[in-house]
Amino acid sequence: MPEPTPMEIPTIQVACTVNGEAFTRDVPVDMPLLEFLRDVLGLTGTKGACLEGECGSCTVLVDGETINSCLMLAAQANNRNITTIEGLASGAELDVIQDSFVATGAAQCGYCTPGLIMSARALLNDRPDISETELLTALEGNICRCTGYASIIEAVKRAHRESQSS
Amino acid sequence: MTFEQALELRSELGADATVINGGTDVVVAMNHGAIKPTCFLDLSRIKAIRKIDRENGHLILGAGATFAQLGKLHVRALREASLSVGGPAIRNMGTIGGNIATASPAGDGCVALLALGADVQLASKDRGQRWMPLVDYFIDYRKTALADDELIQAVRIPNNPRSRWYKIGKRGAVNISLVCCAVSQNEDKKTKLAFGCVGPIPKITPKASALLNGETLSPGLIDDVANLVAQEVSPIDDQRGSAVYRRAMCSTLTRRLLTQLMEDAPKGDADA
Amino acid sequence: MIQQVTTTESDRAQDAPIAPPDHLVGKSCRRIDGKEKVTGTALYGADLFPNSAELFASVVRAQHAHANITAIDTTKALEVAGVLGVYTHVDVGGTNIHGLIRRDHPALASKRVRYLGDAIAVVVAKTERAAKLGRDRVEVSYEPLPVIATMEQAIADGACKLYPEGNVMGDKRIRKGDVERALANSHVVVTDTFFTQTVDHAFLDIEAGTGHWDGQVLTLYVAGQWVHEERRLIALALGLPVEQIRIIQPVTGGAFGGREDISIQIYLGLAALKHQGKTIALRYTRSESMRARHKRHALKIESTFGAKADGTLTAARIVVHSDEGAYASTGIAVMRKAASHATGPYRVPNVEVDVYGVHTNNNPTGAMRGFGACQMAIAYEGMMDRVARALDMDREAFRRKNLIQSGDTVTTGQHVDPVSIGHCLSKALAKFKEQSYPGNEKLPDYMRRGWGMSAICFGLGYGDGFPDCSRARVELNDDGTATVYTGGVEVGQGLLNTMMQIAGEDLGLPMEHMRIVAADTELTDESGSSSATRQTYFTGNAVRMAASELREQVLDIAGIKLKVHPHEITLQQGWAFETNKPDNRVSIQQICTEGLTRGYSLKASALFKPRTITEVPQTGQSPRAFITYLFGAHVSQVLVNMETGEVKVERHIAAHDVGKAVNPQSVEGQIVGGVAQGLGMALMEEVTYKDGRIMNPGLTDYIIPTIKDLPPVEAIIVEHDDPGGPFGAHGVGEPPLIGAVPAILSAIYDATGKAPCELPMTPERTWRLINDVRENDPLTKVF
Repeated sequence: MPEPTPMEIPTIQVACTVNGEAFTRDVPVDMPLLEFLRDVLGLTGTKGACLEGECGSCTVLVDGETINSCLMLAAQANNRNITTIEGLASGAELDVIQDSFVATGAAQCGYCTPGLIMSARALLNDRPDISETELLTALEGNICRCTGYASIIEAVKRAHRESQSS
Repeated sequence: MTFEQALELRSELGADATVINGGTDVVVAMNHGAIKPTCFLDLSRIKAIRKIDRENGHLILGAGATFAQLGKLHVRALREASLSVGGPAIRNMGTIGGNIATASPAGDGCVALLALGADVQLASKDRGQRWMPLVDYFIDYRKTALADDELIQAVRIPNNPRSRWYKIGKRGAVNISLVCCAVSQNEDKKTKLAFGCVGPIPKITPKASALLNGETLSPGLIDDVANLVAQEVSPIDDQRGSAVYRRAMCSTLTRRLLTQLMEDAPKGDADA
Repeated sequence: MIQQVTTTESDRAQDAPIAPPDHLVGKSCRRIDGKEKVTGTALYGADLFPNSAELFASVVRAQHAHANITAIDTTKALEVAGVLGVYTHVDVGGTNIHGLIRRDHPALASKRVRYLGDAIAVVVAKTERAAKLGRDRVEVSYEPLPVIATMEQAIADGACKLYPEGNVMGDKRIRKGDVERALANSHVVVTDTFFTQTVDHAFLDIEAGTGHWDGQVLTLYVAGQWVHEERRLIALALGLPVEQIRIIQPVTGGAFGGREDISIQIYLGLAALKHQGKTIALRYTRSESMRARHKRHALKIESTFGAKADGTLTAARIVVHSDEGAYASTGIAVMRKAASHATGPYRVPNVEVDVYGVHTNNNPTGAMRGFGACQMAIAYEGMMDRVARALDMDREAFRRKNLIQSGDTVTTGQHVDPVSIGHCLSKALAKFKEQSYPGNEKLPDYMRRGWGMSAICFGLGYGDGFPDCSRARVELNDDGTATVYTGGVEVGQGLLNTMMQIAGEDLGLPMEHMRIVAADTELTDESGSSSATRQTYFTGNAVRMAASELREQVLDIAGIKLKVHPHEITLQQGWAFETNKPDNRVSIQQICTEGLTRGYSLKASALFKPRTITEVPQTGQSPRAFITYLFGAHVSQVLVNMETGEVKVERHIAAHDVGKAVNPQSVEGQIVGGVAQGLGMALMEEVTYKDGRIMNPGLTDYIIPTIKDLPPVEAIIVEHDDPGGPFGAHGVGEPPLIGAVPAILSAIYDATGKAPCELPMTPERTWRLINDVRENDPLTKVF
């Protein structure tokens, strides 16, 4: 079977909500959600680094659950509600997790940071109390090459404390 | 879309449509350029196959049940195997049906299910549903009993076996198995063993299981079984590990997991 | 990269009291790039695509690890809809060759390919999909040559030569004292061979960027580690004068040495030159990134150490073979660094070292965090444990007996002063012993716990007579803020904050009044590479010098305004005031206005160029091979499953003398992060080759540590003023990785009673070590 030329990839209409805003776009059926968010919508805060689901850089929330956007097709996001790193801060005010990542120096090169913050967001959304193991498990799919994770753990704990006390 | 509609499409499109659910195998292959599908049959919105039901002392796992869902089950080997798959995001996406369809020898879910004596339900529009033992479903490397017009509908496992699971990987999380092993024992002391990464398909060891069946576990028996296991498995050398190591680990893990079952026996049957 | 921080007018209200002094040096100021990184607004190379990319490029790679090219046919590629051009070596205007030390690496291969990452053509198309399809349709004909897959094959008689002069790329030796005699007179002589593996940098931010040619200037947004040198190399290869090239570093997601060699710059530049007025984008996939990029050298280190009965080291003989891969990269410098660190921080009177670099058809090997010194530490610390055991001496006591003291010499004969290695080791061990965590609970008999230690040193900078220098400029702005200009690149390590804090400290300005412009060849001057742990020391010194000079101007102007001698003035929080009469004050902003009317430049630049002395080739000796030495000591505790070989690091302590921690949070980040990479190297990371092909070119099989692999890492910052460093600081980048690996191996030795000599210690290798099962080698080796 001859390989389709670029122009022959069928497209499909995708209507979804991203960070509260509704979008409708025609996209190639084989386009991953990551590429849709970055190249079609221009939301480049979500990163790609392995495209194998191994590093978690592309983590976003779909209907409140973390997923690896490199492994979901954009077409599968039809009628779904997506939250990316761009959707966390309200105006100039950072989400408490974002603020904690800056405070503890958890963003060094920063490339893994958006994915980690989304994983942490899902964890803190779910749980009023978190154990050390739950924290580590929630972040185990997010690779960081710079920090050795200590400042990241500290950031999530700080964010958890601050959101408990507020 | 309903499962019945999906079966109709499957019947119509056959191998021309790539079946996708969580995408954790399919899209990886696409991203590598190994496959270039232009037509997909997406099962991810079919609620009916996401359910987990109890039925006559069995659990019926919908093919679309995710590893995150299975990670909450009380069946220990399946729970731990599921929680060893990827990270949380992968577990939110990947499904047990997908694991079975991919049929990787390293499929953690498949290994746990084999040890639990699972049956798999395949369905087609024209021929209806059929149940078969999962062990018969795996034919050869990534070759299965699934026909081009069929979809995996469900998996059935006993509700309350005692089971254990262990996976050797190279790091603390998000591991591909070097070797994994699952064991289960039901109330009749029927004991099953299964292994991952020791051959072209997820592997059971019938001779070793036969030696165990109905017997009360003892250190001597466990040793005999562990030695027999090493003869029954057929691992290969690959870039992740060698046959020598894998063979040795099959014995080691058999010994370890059976010993756990033996030592924990007085604590009752429920999987903690 | 330009960082802007807004300042409010109320900061400078005339009647507000002056805030207490806020010393920026020694303070964990929030990273100025923190906010953009946590909100996803920071723009990395690949993030420039959606906004600016007009055309897309893709690179055709070799299909053989070693072959002559007999023909390149681009016809079918050009037929692909959307493909606009396919460019090969004939289209390159300059030398078409690059390489940091030797110019030996063709940008686009013409006659021969020497590894699978060699590039042959660049395809430009309207879409990325079309570019890749075009890439796959370029037809290259080859005449295959024998693939040199291992060092053994490379040096075998009659081996196919990668280069006319043969497969030995170079050698490096150290000769000190009389090793033969000293070994003959030793009480014990211990020999072992260490094999370190090929390691990938695995930074997360895959190579990506854009290029644009407007007919006058070629602008490249590409992350490197040394923008000014990259500009020189690109200029030569493409045949453009340097002033027609501008490189701007986008936000960069890690480097670790992996961005030192040229990556996508020349391909992008070539594509841009052929499509004037269009912005070209190029991004690798992870597998392309791993297949194209250089790696950390795999070394075979044969070590023989002798000692007297009382534990005094007498001699060391060390022979190293290093897999250099297909091209020189920075291999020669890595060989030098390996040789000069062969005996680490130990007093060894008689030393012989021979390092041979050998070409193979594997990926070129070059810079990676630790740069040769890292592999040697595995060997010398491994030998310390082995010799101690042979002498039946305590590991710590044996090390202490031989650690250099201030004024002693290292491998190269350089006298080092001050020496803080003993202090670092004491700190680390004291921390380890003050609590026994995890406890001494009874373990199942198949689990064993062990602990180990390491003591390491690191010569900072390029050393060895290389003309290593940094330039910096500091300017006061009209609004009373100050801007630091540096060519140094921020790759995640915290360079921006470090430079701003150093300048702000001298100028008495709060962090909010500091600005920085970095790594833009148009706006900044050369500051050398972000490598060799050199930026804090080199560029930090240049910034300090420029800021001090600017300070003099500020004090002079303040003196005029306040009518006091400049020596009686304090600069604090954006004010200048009379030290004994703080009400007599003037703001820095007012000083700016005053200074400009009086003809002051209000800017200062500086060059920091200390001298190191080239080693004598025959002996490798030099009175000053490196500008300064850094020290560190680690203690690691592991739990080993004796049945499966699984190793869990339970606890790790790292004490590093950093001179002065300019930003302690960044320093801790470097220490803990270095330990994480060391843990990866010790236990899991390994590029495997089969006949020159990387078998694990992705993060599924090239695995790096997860959050669950890291134990609590305790970072101890030791501060012994470095008299040559800015505010006594010297640097910290590489030593934490160097110290981590041998400490973990030492702990495995302690737990298992078997001495590891091969990396990484995967479960299988550990199991083989415990059970004496020889490797029948499914894992492809480069040895």
